[in-house]
Formats: sequence, C-alpha cells, structure tokens
Amino acid sequence: MSLFIQRMFDGLAEGSIYALLALALVVIFRSTGQLNFAQGEIGTLCAFFASTLTLSGLPVWLSILIAMAIGFLIAAFVERVVVRPIEDRNPGAVIVALIGVFLAVNQLSAMFWGVDARALPSLFPTGANDFFRIGGAAIRYERVGIIGVLIVVLLLLYLLFNKTKIGLAMRAVANNQESSNLVGIRVGNILILGWGLAGAIGALSAVMLAPSAALSGTLMLGPFLLASVAAVLGGLDSPVGAVVGGILIGLLKAILIGYVSFLSDMLFPVMLVVLLGVLIFRPSGLFGTEKVVRV
Amino acid sequence: MSLPKRTPQYSALHWVGRIAIFALPLAYVYFRVLGKTGIVGDGWSNSGLGLLADAFIIAIAVMGVNLITGFTGQLSIGHAAFFALGAYVGLSMTDGRVSTPFFGPDNVWSPGWTIPVAAVLCFLVGCAVGLPALRLKGIYLALTTLVFVEAVRSVLKYQKFADVTGGSTGIKGDKYSPPPWTEALGLEGRGDLNEWMIYLSLGLLLVIMFLVSGLLRSRVGRSMIATRDNELAAEVMGVNLSVVKTVVFGLSGAITGIGGALFGLKLGLVDGDVPLFGLFGAITFLVAMVVGGAAQVWGPLVGAVFYVFVNERARSVGEAPGDFSRDFQVALAISVAVIVILVARYVTRNLDRIKANVSNEALRAAAIVVSAAIGIYVLQDVLLGISGGGKLDGLGGVIFGLMLIAFARFAPFGAVGTFRLGRNRLVQVVPKPPAGATVVPQPARAADGSDTVDLESATDTAGVDAPD
Amino acid sequence: MSGNILEVAGLTAGYGQIEVLHGLDFTVANGEIVVILGANGAGKTTTMRAISGMIGRTGSVRFDGNDISTARPDAVLRAGISQVPQGRGTFTDLSVEDNLRAGAYTVKGSTVGDLDRWFEVFPRLLERRDQRAGSLSGGEQQMLAIARAMMNRPKMLLCDEPSLGLAPIITQNLFKILGELRDEMGMALLVVEQNAGLSLKLADRAYVLETGHIVATGTGDELLADDTIKQAYLGGVG
Repeated sequence: MSLFIQRMFDGLAEGSIYALLALALVVIFRSTGQLNFAQGEIGTLCAFFASTLTLSGLPVWLSILIAMAIGFLIAAFVERVVVRPIEDRNPGAVIVALIGVFLAVNQLSAMFWGVDARALPSLFPTGANDFFRIGGAAIRYERVGIIGVLIVVLLLLYLLFNKTKIGLAMRAVANNQESSNLVGIRVGNILILGWGLAGAIGALSAVMLAPSAALSGTLMLGPFLLASVAAVLGGLDSPVGAVVGGILIGLLKAILIGYVSFLSDMLFPVMLVVLLGVLIFRPSGLFGTEKVVRV
Repeated sequence: MSLPKRTPQYSALHWVGRIAIFALPLAYVYFRVLGKTGIVGDGWSNSGLGLLADAFIIAIAVMGVNLITGFTGQLSIGHAAFFALGAYVGLSMTDGRVSTPFFGPDNVWSPGWTIPVAAVLCFLVGCAVGLPALRLKGIYLALTTLVFVEAVRSVLKYQKFADVTGGSTGIKGDKYSPPPWTEALGLEGRGDLNEWMIYLSLGLLLVIMFLVSGLLRSRVGRSMIATRDNELAAEVMGVNLSVVKTVVFGLSGAITGIGGALFGLKLGLVDGDVPLFGLFGAITFLVAMVVGGAAQVWGPLVGAVFYVFVNERARSVGEAPGDFSRDFQVALAISVAVIVILVARYVTRNLDRIKANVSNEALRAAAIVVSAAIGIYVLQDVLLGISGGGKLDGLGGVIFGLMLIAFARFAPFGAVGTFRLGRNRLVQVVPKPPAGATVVPQPARAADGSDTVDLESATDTAGVDAPD
Repeated sequence: MSGNILEVAGLTAGYGQIEVLHGLDFTVANGEIVVILGANGAGKTTTMRAISGMIGRTGSVRFDGNDISTARPDAVLRAGISQVPQGRGTFTDLSVEDNLRAGAYTVKGSTVGDLDRWFEVFPRLLERRDQRAGSLSGGEQQMLAIARAMMNRPKMLLCDEPSLGLAPIITQNLFKILGELRDEMGMALLVVEQNAGLSLKLADRAYVLETGHIVATGTGDELLADDTIKQAYLGGVG
C-alpha cells in the first residue's frame, strides 16, 4: 500500500511536468491553431542557461526565474519572426518552420553546451532525509513541491485569464481575432504575449524536470511527445484538458512501470493505442470543443 | 490572322535537355565519382563513395515520404519507422533469425532478397497504419505518426523479441558484400562495398523515380493530388479517399522500407538507438524533402544529396575538403553561375514588369538558395575562428533548421519546385508558327504561384529554352 | 446641432489588386441616421472596413474634425467610431458580461457605470450576463454586439447589415432601439443594409451603393417613394 502511494505521487509529480508543458502547448494552440513543435527544445535551452547560471553562483530560484524570462523572450521572438510571416501567407507551412526551429534550437544547445549531461540543482530539498510520511509511504519533498508548482501556476493563470484586462484580451483573441481588432485590442501584441507566456511555462517544466532527469540535449524529447499526446487527449483547445491529460499520462506511466512489468518498456506503444482509441471516438479530445466545418 | 494549326512542338533542343538530365549525372557518377577509365581522375575516396551511397539511400527513403506528404498532403513525420523496419528486416533475415521453409540454406537469406521482403512487409504495415490515419487530419495525424515512430522503436528494442530483433543491443551482421556476378563490373568483393552500394541504391532509386512518375500520371496519382488540394472536393468528384490514403500510405511505407533495408545492409548493424530510426530520422527526411522540393519527383534526390554533403562539410569545418566536398562546391558554383545568367537574362528582358512587381517569388527564392550556399561556405571559416579549431557539433543541424524555416517562408516547393516556377518565368516557350503566319509573341507560360502543382509540371523532368 | 460628424470624400479601397470602392463621397451629420443601401457585392462591408481602417484606402475621411484617412483600427476607435460587424462578431466563448467588458477595452477608468446602463437598456442581456455568448439567439447576439460597441462610448456607430439573419419582428425591434440611440443620446449612425423597407423608414438620409459607386441619394422618405429604388430593392412598384 505504501509503495502504491509512493508510486502515485511519483506519477503525479511527473504528470505535473507533462501538464505544465501541455498547458504551454494549449495556450498557443488556442490563440493561433498551431502546435509549437519547438516548445520542448526552448525549455531545454533555458534549463541549460539555468544550469550555467547556478554554476556561476546564482541561487537556484533566481536562475529559474531568469530561465523563464529567457523562455519568454525566445518564444515571443519565434512568434513574431518565424510564425507570423509564414502564417499570413501559407498556414500549412508553419509546422515545417516550427520543426526547423526545433532542430535549430536543439542543435544550438549542443553547439554551446556539448552533449554531456549537466547538473541542475532542484528548487526543493533533495537530501536523503527530505521526505515525510503518508500512510507508511515515504513521499519526497521534491515530488510534492513539483505538484505544488503546478497548482500555483494554475492559480496564477486562472487569475490572469479571468480577472485581468490582459487576460480578457487573450481570451478574446483566442476566440475571434477580427472582433478583437474591432474593439481595439492590438492582436499582434497579444499573440506575442501568449507565445511568450507559453515559452516561460515550457521553461519552467524543463527546469522542474532537469534535476531528476539527465540535463542533456535529449531532456525534453520524450516529455514533449508525451505532453503533446496529453494535450491532444485532453483537447488541444482546453487548458483543463491539458492538465487532466498530463496528470493521467504521468499516472499511467507510473502504473505501467510499477505494476505491468512486461509492458514497462512499451510506454509508447501503449500511448499509441490510447491516443488512437481516444481520437477515433472523440476526435477533438476529451474536453475539446467540436469544430464544425462549413462546406 | 489565323491560329497556328499545330500544338506547340518541343524542339530538338528540348529533347536533348531531357536526355541530358538523366545522362549527365550518370556520366558524372561513372566517370568522376567511381573514377572509371581514369578520364577525370581516380574517383572519390572510399568514405566519399560511402557518403554518396548514403545520399541515394536517403533519397529513396524520402521518395516514400514525399509520396504521402508532398503529393497526397498527409503530413507524416513517422516514416522513420518504416526505415527502421526495413533495416531490421534486412539484417534479421541475413542473420538467420527468421525461419521460413523456402529460400536460403539454414534460414540465412541472401541480402538481395531481403529488399523485396522488406518492401512487402512495410507495404502491409503502411496500409495498416493508413487505416486509422483516415480519421486523422493535420496536426493530429502528424503527432500520431510521431508516436508511431517511438512505438515501433520500443517494439524493436523490446527484449522479449530479442530472438528476431536483437532486443536492446540490436543485430550485428555482415555488410552487404558485392555478389560474385559483379566482378564483371570491375568490383572486387568486400573492398568495393561502397561502390556496389552506389550501383545498387542508384539503380533502385532510378527505378523508383520512374515508377513514381508513372504513378502520378495515372488515375491514382491524380487522385492523390486531388486529395491533397481539397479533400472534400476530391470526394465529391469520386475519389475514394479511404482507398487512396491507405494504398498510398502502404506504397510510401514500402519505398521508405526499401531505403531502410539498403541502409541496414550497408551499415551491417542495426540497433534501436540509430538516430535515423527515430525523431531525428523523421526530421532528416523532412529537411531533404522540403529543401529538395516537396511534390517533385527529383526533389528527394536533390534534397538528400544536399543534406548528406552539407552535413559532412559542417561536421568537418576547417579540414581540407575531400574530393567529394570539392565536387560539391564546384557544383554549387556552377549552379550559382547558371542562376545568375538566367536571372540577368530575365531581368534585362523584363525590366518594366519587374519594377511593377517587385515581389517576384522566384527571384527571392533563388536569392535565398544562393545566399545560403555562399553563407555556408563563408561561415565555416568564421565559425572555425570562433571555436578555435576542431569540429563544431551541431552546426549542420542549426543550418538545416534555419533552412527549413527559410524554405517554409520563401520556397515551399524546395529547390526543384522553385526552379520549375522560375524556369517557367525565365524561359519563353514559343510555339513554332506555321510558315507564313504572322508571328504573335506568346507570353511565358505563367506560373500563377498558387500552391497547387499541376500534374504536368509535377511529372515533367526537364525543360529547356525553345528558340524564340 | 448642425454640422457633419463624418465627411468622406473620394474614398477608394479594395483587396490587393482589386478595387472595390471607386471614389465615394458621403456625409453623416450629428445626430443623424444615414443608411447606405446596397445589394450583395456592392461594397457595403468594404466601406465599413475602409472607414475603420482595417483595409488600405485612399481618399479623405474626416471625423469630428479629425483626419482619420490613414488611421489604424485602434486609432479610429479612440477617435470615437465603434463598429458592429456583419454577423454580430460576438466573442462566442466569452460570457455576455465579458463581451461587454471587451468592448470597453480602450476606455480608461471604471466602466461599471457603463455596464449597469447597458444592462438597463437591454434587460435580456442582464438576465444572461454569465451565459456563454454563443448560446444566445441571433437577436440577442445583435443586441450584445450593439451594447458592446456602445461600451466604447463612441460618438458614431457603424452598423454592418444588422438585420442579417433576423426575423422581421426582431429587426423591427432592433431598428427601434437604433432610433432610440439617435433620439435619446444624439448618436450618429451609419448603417449599411440590404433590407430597404425597414431601414429606409429608420433613415434620416440614405445613399444607394452599386458596385462601388454611389448612384442615388436623398432622405429616407424620398427614396422609399422612388420607383427605381422600389423596383430594385423592394420588389416591385406600388
């Protein structure tokens, strides 16, 4: 029983990271209908920055904040310089360009930081005695901390979107760009803001993951894929769906590894089956809105 | 004034051009790369030959991707899975891990036969994949194929299947030595492995290109392109979407699988961590397709050659260029010269029209390609200075990433496609008027720059000036 | 109050290479309702877009003494023109109240008073204030679109085919409200419409737009009585 609780918390923590990344993807998809293929790699780059900053003496929390700011800037830059010019002329080509960004950013990281793994200290205490007990299970502070970060981010996003004028503008732009123009919202700036926000959240998820995984160029490759699956499962235009999807996938992975040992290396085949299963019956995901295509 | 009675005839020069398009590269490979008869030197080094063979193999793989993504509009990032499958089939069979009652003593297959088996297997898997893909569109399809790649990789690495797949360590087998009958071509067994691979892969590539262009001219081909351009309209016009998508997925998988089989046979080993078997393979194929030209029969070859050689050059920045690198730079220089001449000619003839229509996509795209080529050449020395010598890991990737972005923005049809668009504007095709009629100059065949590629230009393989 | 709030001269606009409006001249006086009548393709929405600055245009557009010939949409908004777009353009995923708040995006200071006031004018919107705007009926969405436009405290309202898709009785009610806006608030309105009958009754003055040219003008009653107008837009003489 205690092992089960432990595994559940592991799954919840990992799921929180996927949820954060999936949230970043959904924020962008809602406003522009594009999937930011490069989201994970931007996160990795930011994690590298954070690692270098902490190595030069900065406290971890500060490095993380700076890394998030860098993520904001890079993503905003990508929107303005890469996505928007192409989207205006040839929307189908945007994904190709984003794959290009993926490649460029990934290889840029390799160029400047090499291919060996680096260390990034965690924000939370990770000593041998840093855990507490629930029903006999040893739950590490770090796990709870990551889940806590997710909750804080969700809270902040909720406040942003529902209680501020900028949040209202972002929701308006996501719904109807032309009408947003009509009420005086500067749509271009809002788009940049949305992408930047997603970039910061993506950086946060990378920085949360890095301490326990190996911070190398491949850090976010698997998580990006899983987070994309989570976002699709939840519904690409539903933030709630993204979080639910991410948590579910984290739990699924924990269950697979812990209890279905013969499938523990078959995560992706299982994901494929789950993905196909959901998409065939609910093409817009669990919480997504159905799109009616006018003939 | 009466209209000319005959439809425009292609001049003799046009046909010379069409033949030249095939003959010249073949001659180049035979005389220069392989160094036969010693006319143009001794041929490339062995590693250079290996690179060229790699290029042909990747070109075959990209032909498959192009079929489903470029021509039928179903974005599949997952074809690396077929590449992996093909390679595993090849090595698994030649290593005697697959038992069948027919062919081969002691269940060890001869390498040549594994290629059709890989093709058939990948066709079946491709059709199976194509079925659920029917319900998926756009980003959903792309993501699912990506998961598919990783799923296939997991299956291939799965320890319980180790008897067939070698599990997590993979299979280390023999490379595909030239079979005995190749002595007639001058090959001397194991030492000439790369040369043999060049013959084999180039030969298969040409056959595939021929078959694909035939396919495109057929009913199926037109259905594919109709599906890409507007699914709803295609369906209304009688295209059976399910059949088209499924069959084309199967065919494209088979073609990529052939590439994979060749890859495995050349490398002599497979394991789950080979980059080309996963996400990076998918991206590599995409780069080659986009840069070479999506929806162009010649696109994959151009893109694959470009990829392989730029990658190699990027990885060995600062080292003296080998034969192959030098040839590539020469080719680039010639292309630049040709483009400059054609552009100058176009500009001098159409000065007014250009002034009124500054955003000429063909010119811009040509400028991009030229700048990229020059940039690569110049940058490498600059970067060498910055990094203080030695290899620069990742430079190639950054270049390719940037090129994907630039091409998505300026040249969505890749080098070949843009060349076609530009050629149509740069080159006047004037029908020969019957004797005695007043000559009315015809405008150049206008490419309207829309993003549909009509069947004629998709299957046309050459076009040269007609006398005007 | 006399004087023109909107003066348009030589307005030429189009999309890319295609010119749709060929040099229009028209005016809207303070507190006046002007209707521009036109069939499909005449250029009605293009006219609205041109005034709002959403597409490129040449010619002169003067509003309330200011030259807005080259202004961008948010500048036009700040000058005091609000547009009610064709098809309502409501934010379907946002609540009714959020739609209204969005309308006040460029207004500085508190807008609670405006919210209260427009909920009073449109009690149906008050009933549905937390409902998703997409779930409202066509007529209710049109009210919402007008209220949203008014939240910007404009001096003039542009209405693009407000009667589109609405039943006649709802259209009547709608036009009554537009009339009240003029009578009680002194609002100037520029309405483009296909529906001649009701709109000409509402109008103080009207213009007829045909393929980018203004071909007739007069008061609402004059045009209603005109035979050619009747034939073309009202389905027959008599």
